[in-house]
Amino acid sequence: MKAGLTTSVIAHVALLGFGLLSLSAPKPLEVMDVESLPVDIVPIEELTQIQQGDKKAPLAEKAAPTPTKRPDVVADAQNAGDNDIDTDNPPTPDGKPKPVKTAEAQAPAPTPVEKPKVEDSPKVEEPKPVPATELAPVPTPKEEVKPEPVKEAEPKPEPVKQPEPKPAEPEQEVAAAEPIKPDAIAEAIAEEQPKPAEESVSLPNAAPAPEARPKPAQAQTAKAPERKASEKPVKEASSRPQSEETGSIEDQVAALLNKEKAKGGGAKRSTQQASLGGEKTTGGSKLSQSEMDALRGQVQRCWNIPAGAMDGANLRVSVKFKLDPSGALDGSPEIISGGGSSGVERAAAEAARRAVARCSPYTLPAEKYDAWADVIVNFDPSEMF
Amino acid sequence: MENLPLAEPGVQLSIWGLFWQAGWVVKLVMIGLLGASIWTWAIIVDKSLAFARMRRSLNRFEQVFWSGQSLDELYRTLSERKPTGMGAVFVAAMREWKKSFEKGAKSPIGLQNRIDKAMDLALTREMERLEGRLGFLATIGSAGPFIGLFGTVIGIMTSFQAIAGSKSTNLAVVAPGIAEALLATAIGLLAAIPAVIAYNKLSSDAGKLGVRMEGFADEFSAILSRQIDEKVTHQRAA
Repeated sequence: MKAGLTTSVIAHVALLGFGLLSLSAPKPLEVMDVESLPVDIVPIEELTQIQQGDKKAPLAEKAAPTPTKRPDVVADAQNAGDNDIDTDNPPTPDGKPKPVKTAEAQAPAPTPVEKPKVEDSPKVEEPKPVPATELAPVPTPKEEVKPEPVKEAEPKPEPVKQPEPKPAEPEQEVAAAEPIKPDAIAEAIAEEQPKPAEESVSLPNAAPAPEARPKPAQAQTAKAPERKASEKPVKEASSRPQSEETGSIEDQVAALLNKEKAKGGGAKRSTQQASLGGEKTTGGSKLSQSEMDALRGQVQRCWNIPAGAMDGANLRVSVKFKLDPSGALDGSPEIISGGGSSGVERAAAEAARRAVARCSPYTLPAEKYDAWADVIVNFDPSEMF
Repeated sequence: MENLPLAEPGVQLSIWGLFWQAGWVVKLVMIGLLGASIWTWAIIVDKSLAFARMRRSLNRFEQVFWSGQSLDELYRTLSERKPTGMGAVFVAAMREWKKSFEKGAKSPIGLQNRIDKAMDLALTREMERLEGRLGFLATIGSAGPFIGLFGTVIGIMTSFQAIAGSKSTNLAVVAPGIAEALLATAIGLLAAIPAVIAYNKLSSDAGKLGVRMEGFADEFSAILSRQIDEKVTHQRAA
């Protein structure tokens, strides 16, 4: 027994010793540092429906219209653009040479620049709502304005001016003799009084569309038209009093021609890079199941099921009708299937048509009008019993 | 998700580390199982050697016995040293035979019975010696896994209590406790598996040796009974 025991003890000690040496701590598992992915469940309609964007821009992950220049936000705006009011019209394209021409045309009629003061008050209001990204138009109306109101307006243009020194420089050059104030507007005013003739010339200079444009172009080239739209009316405003004052037909014509540009585009601001998309976001233009059920219920309420329609398989009627945005029936309902030759079938078809007509107007979600402008309702008497 | 260290720096995952961190119950179980394993192997080694020795001695004895040597002579040489196996059976029978004849036994049937009894006794004693401690192997073989499992259950219990205390279900908190608990089961299996195998092998070997000795005992009993008959007829004739 001793031999066995000693052998066993020796074997165990040897085995344990070997185990302790060789079976040291197992290597830690090399676990890759896996980023956890947040997963959203998004209904497919939201993605497949057209998103607002730019039709010509390259495809990007998210559709976005061309970026707008104006920072102010217009509530409830639907269409992207720099306009003050949200309109459905597309932005008016601009002719670039025009401003230059008008400036030239104006140049020959220099005299009456100072007089417009009388009409100042309306003019001052006009520029204000336009938070001009371009400085040029802003100073111009102020030339005609009396110093006092101008100063009120000063704070607004200032921030705009600082980023774009170019328009200010030409003015400074013109006003070299004048005391140099930080305000471009004040300068303009001061400068205007000694040199009325030059002022009108400097006006187009001060609004050098081509100069100002390159900067936004970094972000977006296509946006230029909207800017124009906002800038033009101002110019026009400044020129109109001149023409009234002068009474010269030529000037009047020149002033009227090419000046006014239709305001187009929407007022919804966008700051993202333009990418492929539609003109409007058409999200959610699909009736939900409960909305369909609601419509069905409204129709059913008015439906007198024809007597003896128990064996209704052949009495199925499909009625197609149009609705106007208020939910009222537009035109007369059209039977697109069913309503065969037999009297019962015809009666069933008529009952269906009456039901549709009687229940009008329907209450349906107005924002999904696209989805329920045309409705087809199946009347199946066999399912009513 | 921050990159969690898989093992806290204080936790050692080597086998020694796992053993050292275990609770005292688990430690006790592990130590007990280790002792059982040592004892199991001691028995296995001892029995293997003993059986081999026994087999050799049986072979040698059979050779000598059937060589035609006189039984008295054989008895004399064998009784000088302590005989084992068949030798012990033979010596027991011869001793009884001698005693009976020295005292002049009259009944041959009684003598035969006494000799058989003596041989049976010697045989049983030999078998006991052969099979002794094999029961321990059987016990370890069946109970070892359970003892290990007991250690594991206790270890997992305490590690879950620790988790509840630390209020973290992090795997790094759970894993070391469970690993150390599983070590107890591992040691239990380590002790039990050889024990079961060895028990089956050794008990069947012991059975074979026992059969061989019984066969010899029967044969020798037959020889002695023939001799008794011869002596009785001789005595009657005389």
